[in-house]
Amino acid sequence: MIRPVLVRREVPVRGGQPLAFAVGLLVALLLGAVLLLVAGDSPMEVYRRMLSASFGDLEAFSVTLNRAIPLALAGLAVAIAATMGLWNIGAEGQILFGATTAAGIAQIGEGWSGPVLILAMIVGGSIGGALWALGPAAAKAYIGVNEIITTLMLNEIAVRLIRYLINGPWKDPEGYGFVQAPALPEQSFLPNLFQRTHIGLLIAIAVLAVIGLMVSRSSWGYELRVAGSSGATAAYAGISLKRKILTVLVLSGAVAGLAGGIELTGNATRLTETVSNGYGFAGIIVAALALMRPSGVAAVAVLFGAVQVGGQSIKAIGVSDAVSTVLQALILFGVIAAGVLIVYRIEMAEPKVRST
Amino acid sequence: MIFGLTFPEAAVIGLLFAAIQFGAMIYLASLGEMIAERAGVLNLGVEGMMAMGAVGGFVFAIETGNPWLGLLAAAVIGGAVAMIHGLFAVVLGANQVVSGLALTIFGVGLANFWGTDYEGLRPEVQFVDVDWGPLSDISWIGRILFQQSPLAYSAVLLGCLTWFVLNRTRGGLALRAAGESAATADAAGHSVLGLRLFAVAIGGAFAGIGGAYLSLSISPGWTVGVVAGRGWIAVALVIFGAWKVRRVALGAFLFGLAMALPNRTESFDLPWDPILWSMLPYILTIAVMIAGALVLRNRPPPAPAALGLPFRREER
Repeated sequence: MIRPVLVRREVPVRGGQPLAFAVGLLVALLLGAVLLLVAGDSPMEVYRRMLSASFGDLEAFSVTLNRAIPLALAGLAVAIAATMGLWNIGAEGQILFGATTAAGIAQIGEGWSGPVLILAMIVGGSIGGALWALGPAAAKAYIGVNEIITTLMLNEIAVRLIRYLINGPWKDPEGYGFVQAPALPEQSFLPNLFQRTHIGLLIAIAVLAVIGLMVSRSSWGYELRVAGSSGATAAYAGISLKRKILTVLVLSGAVAGLAGGIELTGNATRLTETVSNGYGFAGIIVAALALMRPSGVAAVAVLFGAVQVGGQSIKAIGVSDAVSTVLQALILFGVIAAGVLIVYRIEMAEPKVRST
Repeated sequence: MIFGLTFPEAAVIGLLFAAIQFGAMIYLASLGEMIAERAGVLNLGVEGMMAMGAVGGFVFAIETGNPWLGLLAAAVIGGAVAMIHGLFAVVLGANQVVSGLALTIFGVGLANFWGTDYEGLRPEVQFVDVDWGPLSDISWIGRILFQQSPLAYSAVLLGCLTWFVLNRTRGGLALRAAGESAATADAAGHSVLGLRLFAVAIGGAFAGIGGAYLSLSISPGWTVGVVAGRGWIAVALVIFGAWKVRRVALGAFLFGLAMALPNRTESFDLPWDPILWSMLPYILTIAVMIAGALVLRNRPPPAPAALGLPFRREER
C-alpha cells in the first residue's frame, strides 16, 4: 500500500514563516467560508462586512486597535512564560482578577482625581494579575505542579469570584434590582488617543517594547531562553530554575492583569464577569502564531482584533459571532500545518520492508 | 448532626445520586483522555470535544427523536473532532499543547455556532433512568445506584472494557508501548502513528459521549458554556488518577461530589453563598494536584514516558 509520509526537506522553503502565515490565513478563510456556506450564510457578504467593520475607515481601525490592546498583552503574557517552556493558560483569570482589583480600587478612590485613580487602577490591575499567578508559579517552582491545570482552574474561580461579588458584597445599590456592580466613576475612564482608540495603546506598546527587549537583549532574557531549552544546562550554568519559574510566571500574570486594568478603565463602565471576553484564551493563539516572540505579538494581535471586531459586526445580519472564534482557531491550525510543510514535504512511499 | 451540619436523608441521597451522575460524566471524558495519553498523546482539546459532543448529541437527538442516535452522533463527532488533533499533533508532529488548546477553542466556538438555533429549546427526548426492578426499590442504594441514566452504566462498562483492553490484550500492550517508548513499539512492528490516531479518536468519542451526557441527561438542552471547564477537570483527573483506570474512577466520584454539592447547599444548610461553593471542583482540582505533587515528590512520575513527544521514524 502506498501512503503519504513526511520527509524533512534538505532546505526549508524560502520565505518560511511569513509564507506559512499567509497560506494558513488563506486556508482558514476558505474553511470558514465552507462552514458559512453549510450554515446557509453568504461567505462573501460575511467577510466583506467583517473587513469593513475592522479596517473600513479610520474609526473602524481605531476600534480594532482597541481590541488589539488586551489581545497583545494577553499574547505577551503567554509568550513570556513560553520563553521558559511554561504554559500560562490562566491569562483569562489574571485579566479578570486584575479588573476586579482595579474595580475595588475605584470603589475606594471614588473621590480621587482622574490621573491618580487611573494610574492606581492600572497598577492595581497588574498587581492583581501577578497575585492570581503567584499560587501556580510557586506550586510549579517549588513542588513541580503542572501549571497548565492550576492556571486554568483559577480562570473558573476568577469568573465565580466576580459573580459572587456582583451578586453580594459589590451589588450596585442603585441598580434597581439589576444584579450588577456599581458604575465606575467617570474620572476613571481612560482618555482617547484618537477616534475610539484609548491611551492604553501607548501603555501596551511600551510594555511590549520593554519586555520584548528584556527577553531578547538582556542577560536575564538570555538565561530564560537557556532555561527554556534545557533545564539541565541552565542548572549547570548556575541559573536558579526555581527563582526563574517564579518570576516569569508572576511577570506573565502581571502583564495579563495589566490588560484587565486597562480594559476596565478603557472599555468598561462597570465590572462584569465577561470583562475579559475570552482575551486570555485568544492570547494563547496570538502568542503561538507569533512563535512565542514578543516582537511578533503586536501584529498578530491587530489581526485578531480585526477578526473579533468583524465577528461582532456580522451579528447584524444574523450570523453568530462564534464564527470569529472558529476563525481564530482555524488560522492557528492553518499556520501550524503550513509551518510543518515548510520544513517537511509529503512523499508517497511504499512501506519499508522490515525483517522480523 | 456532625460539626453543626445537618444531613437530611433526602438531601444525602440526592447528593450521592448526583455525585455518581456527574462522576460518570467526567469519568467518560477522563477515560478517553487517559487512553490518548497512554498512547503518548496529550490532548488538551477535551473541553472542545465535550462541547461538540454536547451540541451534536442534542441536535441529533432532537432531529431523529431518539436519544441513542444522538449519543452515537456525539461519539462520532467527538472522534472526528479529535482527529484534527490527530492530524496536527500525531501526523504532522506539531506541539501537542498548542494543537490541543487550539482544538478546545475551535470546538467550543464551533459548538456555540452550531447551537445558536437550538439554544433554550426544551428537548422532547432525553435519556430515561433505568429501572432495575427490585434492585431499584432498595432504600438508599436503589435510588443512588439503580435509578441512574443508562449513560452512567455505560461509563462503568466502558471503564471495565478499557481496563481489559489496555492491560490484558496485545493491542493494549502495543498502545501502551507507543506511549512509553515509541521507537521500541515501532521496532516491534507496530504502527505508532496508527495506534496513536486510534487512541486519540477513541478519546474524542468518549469525550463526545461525556458531552452528550450533559446535554441529554444531566441538564437536558443546549446552552453556551454548558461544559463549564469540566473538560479541563477531566484532564486533571487523569493526572490525579495516575493514568490508571480504577484510580481515575475513584477521582471521578470525588469530583462528582464536588460538582453536585454547590447546587444543594440549601438542603444541607451550608454557610456561604452557593456561588462560592461552585468554586469547589476547581479548588479541589488545584488542591489535589498540589497534594499529588507533594506525595510523588521523590518518586518517578507515573506519566507515560513518551507523553507529549511526537514520533517520526527517520528521526528516532
